Amino acid sequence: MAKSLLVISRQAPWSGLGAREALDLVLAGGAFDLPISLLFLDDGVFQLLPEQKPEALQQKDVTANLAALPLFGVEQLYAARTDLVQRGLGESQLALESVRILEDGALADLINRHDQVMTF
Amino acid sequence: MATLHLLSQSPFTNTQLKSCLRLLGDTDGLMLCGDAVYVLNSAPELAPELQVLAAKGALYALEEDQIARNCIQEGVVQSLNYAQFVALCCQYDRVNSWV
Amino acid sequence: MSTEYRRDAEGYLMDLEAWSESVAEVIAQEEGLVLGTEHWEILWLLRDFYQRFQLAPATRPLIKYVAQQLGPEKGNSLYLNHLFKGTPAKLAAKLAGLPKPTNCI
Repeated sequence: MAKSLLVISRQAPWSGLGAREALDLVLAGGAFDLPISLLFLDDGVFQLLPEQKPEALQQKDVTANLAALPLFGVEQLYAARTDLVQRGLGESQLALESVRILEDGALADLINRHDQVMTF
Repeated sequence: MATLHLLSQSPFTNTQLKSCLRLLGDTDGLMLCGDAVYVLNSAPELAPELQVLAAKGALYALEEDQIARNCIQEGVVQSLNYAQFVALCCQYDRVNSWV
Repeated sequence: MSTEYRRDAEGYLMDLEAWSESVAEVIAQEEGLVLGTEHWEILWLLRDFYQRFQLAPATRPLIKYVAQQLGPEKGNSLYLNHLFKGTPAKLAAKLAGLPKPTNCI
């Protein structure tokens, strides 16, 4: 049984390479059928804002890639409620439907349920 | 099933520490490296969460980074050299590096 | 009909928009493949996939997507391997004018 991995993505989509790197890791893990989960934390929740137009910055569309996650077998998707609320993101308007919303108190459990964890 | 969290950035320019404290479990530990040791400079007015950690003996810092920055708080944090740091990582089930 | 289109070292199109059915025919000929209806169905599906997700799928997601869109009798490795000489993710992406899929052995 392969080790389970939790990836924590806490950077906004166009502010640097963090969001891209986290997503590439998750897609690669998914393509190889690894048990992998993704948590959006801090500014990482901005990746879930719908209708973004990264072409305006000549950037590749991280958020379009996110929608492919279920096809890559990555279905354990989470976001922290505190961060969504703080940043004015409604749970019903998120770009990904299958994201589970977690309270702060549940975050430590989520991490400790996985064999390994990586933060970007 | 505990996690050791590694922080490396200054708590005054980055939200790493704040976020990390939110997702710290009861048995988790916190290791300060690089500019993250600057948080010790604000002792004894450390955040209550850090005081709790320190009291549990679950707050660590890399000694050389403390010495270089003159952020030495004896009795608050356990200062480790690299060999001790490696040994510490092995005591936990997993290590989470905040980049 | 030879229009200008740039390709990378492995033969993948550099520009998604430079693709046309005749470009696909040229690449297919290089690969020793004759494109039939079954091939075109997958190639157009891949074009749609890229529009939606902005990436070229590796094998597993390709199979899953084909199964989702065209049903399980086509969304399986046997069918796709048969159509695309055993490397459906890579070869079909090349024929459809997509970049080389990442995470593909």
